[in-house]
Amino acid sequence: MRRIFLFTLCSLALAQPPVAPTTEQTGNARGENQGNYNIIDSFEVGYRFASVGGDGGMYDSTVNYGDGIRLLSSSLTIQSRDGHGTLFDHLLLTTQGLGNDPYQSVILRIEKNRLYRYDMMWRLTDYVDPAATISFGEHAMNTQRTMQDHDLTLFPQSNFKLFLGYSRNLETGPALTTIQLFNSQGDEFPLFANVHREVNEYRLGGEVHLFGMRLNVMHGWEDYKENSPQSLTSPSAGNNPADLNTLASFQSTQPIHGTSPYWRVGLFREGKKLWAVNGRFTYVAGKDAFSLDEMSAGTDFRGTPTQLQVVSFGNADRPALTANLTLSIFPTDHIVLTNQSSFANIRMIGDSYFTEIENGSMVSPVLPFQYLGIRTFANTTDAMLHPTKWFSIHGGFEYSDRHIGSVQGQSNLGDPAPAQPAIEQSSQLKAGTLGFRVKPIKPLTISVDGEVGRTSKPFYPISDGNYQAFRARAEYKVKLFRVGAYAKSDYNINSDMLTSFASHARQYGADGSWIPTSWFSIDASYTKLHLNTLGGLNYFDAGVNVTGESSYYISNIHSANLSAHFTFLKRADIIAGYSHVQDVGDGRATPAGAGLYSALPAFQAAQTFPLRYLSPQVRLSIRITPKLRWNTGYQYYGYREQFSAAQDYRANTGFSSLAFSF
Amino acid sequence: MTLFRVAQAALLLTAVCRGADYVGSEACKTCHATVWNQFFRNPHYKSIASGKEAPENTGCEGCHGPGKAHIEARGGKATIIAFSEIGPEKTLDACLRCHAQTLSRANIRRSLHTQEDVVCSTCHSIHNSKAPRFLLAKKQTELCYTCHASVKAQFSMPFKHRVNEGVVECTDCHNPHGTFAASWKMASRPRMVDQKEGNEEPCLKCHADKRGPFVYEHAAVRVDGCEICHMPHGSTNPKMLKRPTVFTVCLECHNGAGTFGRTNNGVYQTPSTHNMADPRYQNCTTCHARIHGSNADPFFFR
Repeated sequence: MRRIFLFTLCSLALAQPPVAPTTEQTGNARGENQGNYNIIDSFEVGYRFASVGGDGGMYDSTVNYGDGIRLLSSSLTIQSRDGHGTLFDHLLLTTQGLGNDPYQSVILRIEKNRLYRYDMMWRLTDYVDPAATISFGEHAMNTQRTMQDHDLTLFPQSNFKLFLGYSRNLETGPALTTIQLFNSQGDEFPLFANVHREVNEYRLGGEVHLFGMRLNVMHGWEDYKENSPQSLTSPSAGNNPADLNTLASFQSTQPIHGTSPYWRVGLFREGKKLWAVNGRFTYVAGKDAFSLDEMSAGTDFRGTPTQLQVVSFGNADRPALTANLTLSIFPTDHIVLTNQSSFANIRMIGDSYFTEIENGSMVSPVLPFQYLGIRTFANTTDAMLHPTKWFSIHGGFEYSDRHIGSVQGQSNLGDPAPAQPAIEQSSQLKAGTLGFRVKPIKPLTISVDGEVGRTSKPFYPISDGNYQAFRARAEYKVKLFRVGAYAKSDYNINSDMLTSFASHARQYGADGSWIPTSWFSIDASYTKLHLNTLGGLNYFDAGVNVTGESSYYISNIHSANLSAHFTFLKRADIIAGYSHVQDVGDGRATPAGAGLYSALPAFQAAQTFPLRYLSPQVRLSIRITPKLRWNTGYQYYGYREQFSAAQDYRANTGFSSLAFSF
Repeated sequence: MTLFRVAQAALLLTAVCRGADYVGSEACKTCHATVWNQFFRNPHYKSIASGKEAPENTGCEGCHGPGKAHIEARGGKATIIAFSEIGPEKTLDACLRCHAQTLSRANIRRSLHTQEDVVCSTCHSIHNSKAPRFLLAKKQTELCYTCHASVKAQFSMPFKHRVNEGVVECTDCHNPHGTFAASWKMASRPRMVDQKEGNEEPCLKCHADKRGPFVYEHAAVRVDGCEICHMPHGSTNPKMLKRPTVFTVCLECHNGAGTFGRTNNGVYQTPSTHNMADPRYQNCTTCHARIHGSNADPFFFR
């Protein structure tokens, strides 16, 4: 039992940031009895520190732990002992990172048998992204997102259930963005944006069990609001100060108010071990109402003083309908046949008015709304056969038919805009799957799967066209020892008369865990992720159309994790871990030099992106009393790109905490 | 011997349906005191607390079948439904007797997990759960990583969704019990990705600003989904893009070649004014700032 506990503890340590080894090591897990309830409580309070050298922005983007006092974690469970509590039978409250951690969460469940069940999840994430390699870092963000989900189920064990729900998603904070002015020959100007995005969703539904069938109906209303005004903080010469294009003032507001009422109906039944059927119908009537008011003043690329006002308003609608019907048949105890038909129809329609006034003259009076419609029908048949306990085989076939219609928008078409012809296309997919699973001896499991798909007309060069996927996995598992290995490949090839795209992703890995003694355990994993993609390039280099070149990207990522757990004298636990991610790219030593697929140095440099990201850590947990532990931990983060040191960083982080348990 | 046990388990399951030889949970606790003493914490305890369920639907025998033969034989896995002994399909059948009636499990019979014999007891530990909710055998993330080691590697990347940090869970995007056909791509892959509001990509649960609808949709987002440009688990590239720089993401499609795209004539090539040797044109989203969709500009400028 002790080993199993350590095994669990060790595995928990692998994926966690330095929060706490565990909150359940102290005290008696059986809890305290108070009247008719049993209570288990634990919490961990401590101080977290972080010291960063190098690019702090990149640290914030990838790790983001800071200094300060935290309620690192807590857990409270109250359980009625006979299932007949007064107000509730089960209460669970867990928290993580409260105080000022960048990743915080609270989970609450309260339940009264047969009467109600209430679930709440609250989460907060600080999001920092300097994204220096994208838009020159001028799209940096430092926002905070809070999400909360509340779900109340009435009569959860009865044949008639009622669902009430509410979700909220709020994103706020400063960000940077850019705009290009005053025409296609203009410069780009960095702007400040005050991000405010808010979603409120309300749900009401029910489920009834009648005549052996269960009908589930959910109606929801999603309300979306965005108003992220953009402004220029000071006159700007733009990203290219050598040109004559400048921006003296800029102000833009673009409030959006969207509503998405939706219906979801599910019907399902399992019939006496011979068959099962379920159907689902959903309809979402997405709708956005918006307006844009943008005022800018400066000089255009000729140096001519320019004032530009852009006004746009309108509505966008996206009704989306899906229907699914699944039938499963069990002719014998060892055979399962299922067939699913699905239909999806999404249309994007609406109206928009757009006007652009430059120095008092209307430039572009009307832009017609674009239309995009996607209709997909798919049918899948799967068969699973378990002839023996140690062998099973499964296979399937899917046919999909997708039809896409679109209307292109063009400017300066007059008012009213003439009708544009719809451009239509259709595509068919035929895919087959086959796999088996075998257990030649009880501890050993081997599974192999493959899938081959052929799409008649992929929408994009990189869409799934002619693809084949293969997976194989073997696992040997006895009570306190486990080792597994796997190989996966996913190839996608699109050939066309003018260009081709080929993507080859291969993954290999092995992982294992071992608990040789009661005071030592070890857990390790290694994964190699290989990706190479070859795509055709057509572009302009100083006005010359370059064709026949290729974009060739290679990534070879080695990822390894190691964790070891030691226990000394049943009083102290040490967990040491190491995580290493390294993309060795295509093996080159300098950004340029390969040049095999494109003559442009920038394209050569983008063909690979070698870097190293490592993180060793160690944690110590000492039992002071049966109900009190002292925990401390240290974790180092190192990020280094091979071709540039601009974003490299080194961070020393850690914590010291006390964990109480009652 | 194994076949004999399977056959015996099948007979016991049949006996469950016939309502034979039930002795009640009180009899079980005599030997299984450790399990019984903690069982009041178990969600399955509801069936005992109600006191109204039929013998085959309550307490120990609700899952393990009638216990009379087990008691008479003074224990043994051959005389009771022991989930360590019966095959995965029997385990699934046993659990779905009660748990089939949930919309989120409507596709469990055809899910990839079921095809791989990953059934209820693979992830859920009824009597030794280490997770606060759903009787999971381990914390959810670690549970999924046990088999999905490559996904674990992806979440170790510098840029990733904060799964290891505990603020995002695998089930925020995936339904391990199987899903309906995706309403994006060709309705084929991915197969275990859940859908927001029933028919949209799960990404939009959080990234509501990318949802639209927009007057000018970037068709790639709607047709092939977010993963056409992004790697949703994790990446070595900022914004979890598939490539380290934006223009390589864009130009792999925007090369004007072939019969791809909405016009059946290739996806728009960049115009001649875009000198790709100039660094300013290598950052496409500097101008095309609203790349996920725009209400004011067909080229996503504003």
